Amino acid sequence: MSKFRNICWWLFFMAAAIGLQALTPGLDALAVGIIILLQERDYKNMLWLLPLFVLLQEGMGTRVFGGVIVWYAAIIVLFKLGRWLFEVENFIFIFLLSSCLGAAYYGVAWLMAPLQDIPFNVQDTLDKSLIQALFLPFAWRLLIATRHWTMYDEEK
Amino acid sequence: MTLRRILILAGVLLILFLGMYSWNQRTRTLDELAASVGLELSGAVLKAMRATEDVVSGFWERYFDLVGVREENERLKARLADLESRLLANGEDLAELKRLRALIQLPVDKSWRPLGARVLAGRMGPNAVLDSITISRGYATGGRPGTPLVTHLGLVGRVLRASAHTATALLLTDPGSRIAVFSQNSRAPGILTGQGTDRMLEVNFVQRDAGVKQGEVLITSGLDGKYPKGIPVARVLSVAPSDYTQFMAIYAEPLVDLHNLEEVLLLEPTGIAPPTDEPEGPPPVFVGPPLPPAAVTP
Repeated sequence: MSKFRNICWWLFFMAAAIGLQALTPGLDALAVGIIILLQERDYKNMLWLLPLFVLLQEGMGTRVFGGVIVWYAAIIVLFKLGRWLFEVENFIFIFLLSSCLGAAYYGVAWLMAPLQDIPFNVQDTLDKSLIQALFLPFAWRLLIATRHWTMYDEEK
Repeated sequence: MTLRRILILAGVLLILFLGMYSWNQRTRTLDELAASVGLELSGAVLKAMRATEDVVSGFWERYFDLVGVREENERLKARLADLESRLLANGEDLAELKRLRALIQLPVDKSWRPLGARVLAGRMGPNAVLDSITISRGYATGGRPGTPLVTHLGLVGRVLRASAHTATALLLTDPGSRIAVFSQNSRAPGILTGQGTDRMLEVNFVQRDAGVKQGEVLITSGLDGKYPKGIPVARVLSVAPSDYTQFMAIYAEPLVDLHNLEEVLLLEPTGIAPPTDEPEGPPPVFVGPPLPPAAVTP
C-alpha cells in the first residue's frame, strides 16, 4: 500500500467527514474510519488517527471531554466481539454492527447526560441513533470501494 | 484471555477513565486541548469549504449559465448573461450589505465593540448535544468564552468554548441558557430560560402583578453582567398565572430566526465603563433640615 496515498486518503476522509458532520447534526462520520482501520488491522495508522478523531469530535462538541472515548471504545469492543462470529468484510456483518452501534450511540448519550447534568432528549437521541445506524453501512461500502486507490497495482 | 482477566482489564480501564474524567472536570485541561486542536482544525476545514463553495457558486453563476447560447447571437447573449449574473451577484452583495448595515445599528454603548463573524455550521458530531453553532472567530479574534452574539433582530446567545480562530456558541434556546431580561413596556424583570430547539422560551420569576402583556418584547436587563442592557431577545406569546408557583407562567419566542443564521455580531467587552445618565444643568437645591450651627470653641 502506498504510504503517501494512504495518508492523503485519510486526510481527505477527515475533511469530507467534517463537511458531512456540518450538514448533519449529531452524525459521527469519522466512526466508519475506525471500522476500516480495524478491518485492515492497520494499528500503526490507528495510533495517530484515533487520538485525532477523538480530539476532533471532542473539540467540535459541547459536552465535557470523555463521551467520545466511551463511544469509540464501544465501537472497538463491538467490532472485536463481532469478529469472533462473522467475516468482517461481509456487508451483513457491517449492517449488524451498525445496528448495535446505533444502540450504543443511544446508550452513551444516556450515560453521559446525567454525568454532566444535561437534559436527556429521548426523541432527539433516538433520531440521531437511527441516522448513525443507517449511515454506517452505506458509508462503509462507498469508502471500501475507494480504498483500492491507495494500493499498488500488484497488491490489487 | 480468560473471563477473569477481561473483567480485571475492564475494571482498570473504567477506573482510569473515571480518574481522567474527574481530573478534567476540575482542571478542564483536556477540554482546552480538544478545543485548541479539534475545534481549530474543523474550523479551518469548514472555512476552506465555505470559501470553495463561494468560488464554485460564483463560477457556476458567471460561466455555466452561458452554456447553450446560440452561436449567431452569442456575443449579445453573453453580454446579457454577463450583466444578469453581475446583477445577481450585486443583488446578493446588496442583500448582505443591508444585513450588515442593520447589524451595526445596535443599541450598545462604548463598553461593547461589535465584531462580525460568519456562521460556519450548526451542531457538529455526536458530542454536540447542546443547541449551538460554530462561528468563524476564536479567542484570538474577539470570540472569547462568554462573549454575547447578536444580529440586527436581537440576541442569539453567547460563546461557550473557543479555539484561536473558531468558536462554539450556545444559543438562547438551549435548556442551559439563562438570561436576565426586562419586559420592554412594563419593565418587569425575569429570567429567560431555553427549553430546546423549536420549543418556546420560558420566563421565570415574574411577579403576578407585573402587568406583562402578550406581544411585548423582552430585552436584556444587563443585571447578570453577561449581556449589555437593552438588546431585544424575545416576544411574549402567552401570559397566565402559574398553577404551581407564585409567579407568572410566561412563554416567549426568540426574535432571531436561529435556523437561518448567516452572519452574527460578537459584542466584545472593551473595558470602558458605560456612560452614566447624569442630569443636565445645575445640581438640584438641597432640601432638608437646617445645617447645625458651627461649633464655637472657647
